[in-house]
Amino acid sequence: MNKVIPRIALRNLSRQKKRNILLGGAIAFSIMIVTLVNGFTGAFIENVSENFAYLMAGHVFIQGSERTASGKKISAIRDDSIIFDAIANSGIKYKTATRSSEASATLVFEGKSTSQNLTGFDLENSGFLRERLVLKQGTWDAVKAPDALIISEKVAKKLNVLPGDRVTARLQTVTGQNNIADFTIAAISVDSSIIGSAMTYVNLSYLNEAIGLKPDEYTSLNLMLDDLKDSAPFADRLYTSMKGMGLQLFDRNQKNESGSTTPFQAMLQSQNKETWEGVKYRVYTIDDVLSQAKQIVIALDTASTVVLIVLFTIIMIGIANTFRMVMYERIKEIGTMRALGVQRGEIRSLFLYEALFLALGGALAGIILALLGMNILQLINFGMDSPAFLIMKNGHLSFSLPPLRAIGNIAIIAVLTLVSAFFPARAAAKMEPAEALRTLK
Amino acid sequence: MAIIEIHDVKKNYPLGKVEVQAVKGVSFLIEKGDFISIAGPSGSGKTTILNMIGLIDKPTAGEVIIDGKATSGLSDKELTRFRHEVLGFIFQSFNLIPVLNVWENIEFPLLLGKTRITKEEKNSWIDWLMAEVGLTEWKTHKPNELSGGQRQRVAIARALVTKPQIVLADEPTANLDSATGEQIIELMKKINRELETTFIFSTHDAKIVEIADHIIRLRDGTVTENRRRGEDVAASATTVEE
Ligand SMILES: Nc1ncnc2c1ncn2[C@@H]1O[C@H](COP(=O)(O)OP(=O)(O)OP(=O)(O)O)[C@@H](O)[C@H]1O
Ligand SMILES: [Mg+2]
Repeated sequence: MNKVIPRIALRNLSRQKKRNILLGGAIAFSIMIVTLVNGFTGAFIENVSENFAYLMAGHVFIQGSERTASGKKISAIRDDSIIFDAIANSGIKYKTATRSSEASATLVFEGKSTSQNLTGFDLENSGFLRERLVLKQGTWDAVKAPDALIISEKVAKKLNVLPGDRVTARLQTVTGQNNIADFTIAAISVDSSIIGSAMTYVNLSYLNEAIGLKPDEYTSLNLMLDDLKDSAPFADRLYTSMKGMGLQLFDRNQKNESGSTTPFQAMLQSQNKETWEGVKYRVYTIDDVLSQAKQIVIALDTASTVVLIVLFTIIMIGIANTFRMVMYERIKEIGTMRALGVQRGEIRSLFLYEALFLALGGALAGIILALLGMNILQLINFGMDSPAFLIMKNGHLSFSLPPLRAIGNIAIIAVLTLVSAFFPARAAAKMEPAEALRTLK
Repeated sequence: MAIIEIHDVKKNYPLGKVEVQAVKGVSFLIEKGDFISIAGPSGSGKTTILNMIGLIDKPTAGEVIIDGKATSGLSDKELTRFRHEVLGFIFQSFNLIPVLNVWENIEFPLLLGKTRITKEEKNSWIDWLMAEVGLTEWKTHKPNELSGGQRQRVAIARALVTKPQIVLADEPTANLDSATGEQIIELMKKINRELETTFIFSTHDAKIVEIADHIIRLRDGTVTENRRRGEDVAASATTVEE
């Protein structure tokens, strides 16, 4: 195919400027909307996971489960040297390793009570918490007290407490005995999303004592990596490495039978059915816990593709009509070209190229507009205390456009445009040259 | 040898339920290098015959032989290639491609099909043609910036650019004033002599008919006169019967 056909096609686009700007604009608009949605969902899962990772102090988690002779299960890691050996053996790097214990407790203050999940950290040395948690009342200094408790604004309101107040926690030890522990409110954190407000932080050693663990024991080892994306491969390698050292492990790839549970829940379910002796470990990632967020992303992406197709069906009708009109307007030109030696197929290409250039021009403009829009939206600071904190990056909306999505969207637009221009193009190609030249225009 | 042979060519057009007999069995020969006028009143079949010689329309019956090649069995693709290689076209309403400038319009046919000439050859040939038709100054102008006469000059250069053996022109002067029309025919004649290209043009302008070396006159789809300039009408009548 020679180059003169696409060249004429490109120049033909400038002949009906208004019409083509309208059509190109419609294409640009639909691509822009879809690209914005794709960009948002592209960053969504990453932001949610990253924010969660900070709240939970890790990307990859290791927990131990002991089965006693009586069949009781105790969640505890009593000796982590073998785990660190396994990490070293696997040769993989991590940023920080944080030991934490978890316990569900009922907090009581002056007749008011609320159920909370207590997370025990070495609060004094947990930099990530200081980075992400915005204190509304109280100080990080007060957090140094062994019985310190950081609760969210919402919980503080519920209990009607202020920093310095002492609350009582009713909880169970790892072996299932009821126990009581007193805490002092050290700080009240700003509510930064539903999940963020559910987090209650205490000191690890103090919590351990309350739940019957020794000071150097804990329930979960949380590994923060350099990059969220490394979570799954890291977990897989760690799993293999631990298995290689003869440790018992729960299967990492539990199939999710009910369809509604996360891989993490599936893991817990299967664990309930199993019997074992000694300690059995589970390794899981933030993604396993948050797979529901992924489903939201898939839903949003599917919806945006449907929107693209619906918008485009409407545009297609416009394109088909325009090209039918264009064909009649240029009948004589078609006849002339045919007489001069242009083949039928080249006439068809002439129209298809014109349609393709229109689609690509519109799509490109749409993507540029979307990128501009993203950059502007990213500038807005919603603050770390925004209720939408979890889906944002440091309090800013963030977008990440997977290049394949963008290319895919352009391809959809291009294909649909070609389909809608195809029939007018074929009609133009089919015309007999003498017939075309006879028209009075 | 005749470059064009028309053998008992008929052309019927369907018109509703009846058929219009636009050309009713016409035969004639055209010699290489001829400068021919096809004359006749409106509706006599001039365009129909030119279209069949130009291979953009097919006879209902009969045979059109061009350069020794019978054309009735050729496919659309072959006909298109044949047109490109052997024929040039000039139209009544110029029919330039509006988005191409003068130079590009002239170049256009060279970009189709297979061309075996170098860029330098091509450029100097187009420049020569532009000078020949007197448009060197207008190289980069678009067709809508030219007068009718200028446009038809571009069309002439375009028709010649592939060095065709035959150039067909259906009423090339009908959209021009008579003085400009005569200049256009004179230009065609000059090129006819210089390049020995066969020119066939139709017209119903008596003055222009007389510039031709060879006149074929039509009426109601039949040839009523076929003579070379200088021959008398009686002599031509015997030519037809031969
Ligand atoms: N496509 C067609 N369909 C029906 N009839 C046609 C068609 N083309 C030509 N005709 C008829 O055939 C006859 C010859 O037409 P043609 O165009 O060849 O004449 P012409 O000599 O070129 O006339 P003019 O000087 O007006 O251009 C006319 O009666 C015309 O109406
Ligand atoms: Mg005519």
